[in-house]
Amino acid sequence: MDLYIQIALIVLAPFIGGLVYGIERVVKARMQRRIGPPILQPFYDFFKLADKRKMIVHSTHAFLGIMHFFSLWFALAVLLLGGDFILVIFLHLLSTALLILAGYSTRSIFSHLGANRTAVSVLAYEPILILVAVSVYMLTGSFDVSSIFSYDEPLLVKMPLAFLALLLILPIKLKKSPFDVAEAHQEITGGVELEYSGIFYEAIYTAKWIDEIFCYTLVYLFGANNPLIGLGLVLFAFVFVNALDNSSARVSYKQMLRFSLTIALPIAFINLLLAIFQQVL
Amino acid sequence: MNFKSYRKKSPWILHYNAGSCNGCDIEILACLAPKYDIERFGMINTGNPKQSDILLVTGPVTKRSRERLVEIYAQMPEPKVVISCGACASTGGVFRGMYNCEGGIDQYIPVDVYVCGCGCRPEQIIDGVVQALGILDKKTKELEESVKLKKQPLKEEGQLNRREIAAEIKTA
Repeated sequence: MDLYIQIALIVLAPFIGGLVYGIERVVKARMQRRIGPPILQPFYDFFKLADKRKMIVHSTHAFLGIMHFFSLWFALAVLLLGGDFILVIFLHLLSTALLILAGYSTRSIFSHLGANRTAVSVLAYEPILILVAVSVYMLTGSFDVSSIFSYDEPLLVKMPLAFLALLLILPIKLKKSPFDVAEAHQEITGGVELEYSGIFYEAIYTAKWIDEIFCYTLVYLFGANNPLIGLGLVLFAFVFVNALDNSSARVSYKQMLRFSLTIALPIAFINLLLAIFQQVL
Repeated sequence: MNFKSYRKKSPWILHYNAGSCNGCDIEILACLAPKYDIERFGMINTGNPKQSDILLVTGPVTKRSRERLVEIYAQMPEPKVVISCGACASTGGVFRGMYNCEGGIDQYIPVDVYVCGCGCRPEQIIDGVVQALGILDKKTKELEESVKLKKQPLKEEGQLNRREIAAEIKTA
């Protein structure tokens, strides 16, 4: 029964992600006292993009974009099936690396800038995710995500600092203001996704929806054995990220890196030390 | 599966300033602000020609900006529509006949909807975009080219060549 739910979640991930993205646009519009688009707007965009004339820069570029989508979906599948946490993080890194390669494969300056900035944002959030994974290992004795579900207490109670660190890097991963340097629509008009158009842009656009599901699943893990706490945390993170997105201006990539490595990383590290001490005592 | 009906529901806008005085541009940005909020029709100001459907052009086409205008038009994938916003973009406006610009964008690219006014009001822009959506519905995916190659710009007659003037001053 449980496996059926997992497989249904994996197969329906793009659909659920699209709904989340649509709700997010409405929530952001309401925060600015606008009416906002319909909730199904991302799917309208999706069908419209399928109807455009096909234009590509070169075949490798289009192929890397599509592979980015599928590798991200695969990482989400491993996460939802309760696989190895470290493997999940590295599969996610692989999908981002494919996107960075796609950015470098064109001659567009904005695409190169976007790829550079994506690489910097990976540098900002990756160490924290790995430290959180190691802390989970210290607590439960296993790198498997399924061990979090079978642990008798929610992770939030055991290591609140890890949740705080994850909350701080969530805007970097979701490319939200103030840490949206990788996308920066007013500055480099989308960065890596700039050179994609029509049906090939859909792969990047849908990958964004799957990325949202991926991030909110990571948040859900902190209340994994009690679905009520888990969903509450997801709701809190959703409102927090969007309120922060609406109320803050973009910082430069150096400030982002400094914030991440001097504030979020020490928090994650202290959390790891506490987890080790709890294990020893 | 027929995706044609979704064109109307998510038109993405590209805004290009071809030497405008910024009056019309401010009005276009006012459409995106909370009072008029055109995002409720699913419109986004993308700023990226490769992903947009509607090209909003303001300003008389100055000789510096005409190459870029044609380039941007060529980069947009079909089906696409062009709206000329304001008196300058439609006819040249107060700049018509001046040495540095030509009268209106329709000398270079095919225009579908003309929005009048100096500067055009946000209500008029929204009305123009809604009319353009009706035209977008009827368009096909066939290649549309700029008219630049068919119609060469007029030869400048009676204009001073700056290099010659500079040379004269140098020798004198």
